[in-house]
Amino acid sequence: MMSFGKSTTPAHRRYVIRIMAFTIPYVAICVSMMTTDAFDEVMGKPAAWALAAVVSAPVIGQIWAVLSLMRESDEFVRGVTAKQFIVSSGLAMAVATFWGFGESFAGAPHMQTWLIVPLFWGMYGLTAPFIRTSR
Amino acid sequence: MKNRLKLLRVERGWTQEQLGQALGVSRQAVIALETERHDPSLDLAYRIAATFGRPVEDIFENPHA
Repeated sequence: MMSFGKSTTPAHRRYVIRIMAFTIPYVAICVSMMTTDAFDEVMGKPAAWALAAVVSAPVIGQIWAVLSLMRESDEFVRGVTAKQFIVSSGLAMAVATFWGFGESFAGAPHMQTWLIVPLFWGMYGLTAPFIRTSR
Repeated sequence: MKNRLKLLRVERGWTQEQLGQALGVSRQAVIALETERHDPSLDLAYRIAATFGRPVEDIFENPHA
C-alpha cells in the first residue's frame, strides 16, 4: 500500500505523501530520543510534556491521512481501508490487553504504552495484504 | 455478487481503467466488482447499469430471487 504502482489513484498518492509526512518526524523524534542525549535536558521537567505532545501529534495526523484517503476514494477502497484498520486496531488492542494482564497477573516485563502505535502499524502491515474484499 | 460486468466490458473493448473512469471509481474497484470481491452500492449499481444501457438485473444476478 505504500508504493506508487501503476494502479494507484491520486487519492492513494496523496495518502502516501501525507502518511510519510507524519511518520518521518514521528520516527525521527523517537529514534533521536532513544539513541542520543538531545532531549536529556528536558526529561523530568514540565517541558517534557511538550515533548510528549510533539511526538504524539503526528499520530493524529496519521489518522487524518487515513480518513482523508477514505473520503477521497471510491466505495470499494473506503470499505477495504475501514476493514484493514478495524482488524489492525483490534489485533493491536488484543495484544496490548494480553500483555497488560500478563504484567498484572504473570509478572511480565513492563512495556511502554507508546508502543501501541508501532504495534498497530505492524499489525496493519501484516494483515492489510490479506484483506482484499469489502465484505 | 455474481455479475456479467467483465463480459459486458470486454464486449465493448474497454479496459478496466476506462470503465473505472466512466464510472468514477478506481481500477481496483472494477477488478473487485468483476471478481465478486465487492458488492456495489445501489448508487454504483445504477451507474453501471446506465453506463452499459441495461437494467441492473441484466448485469447483476439477484441473490434473493
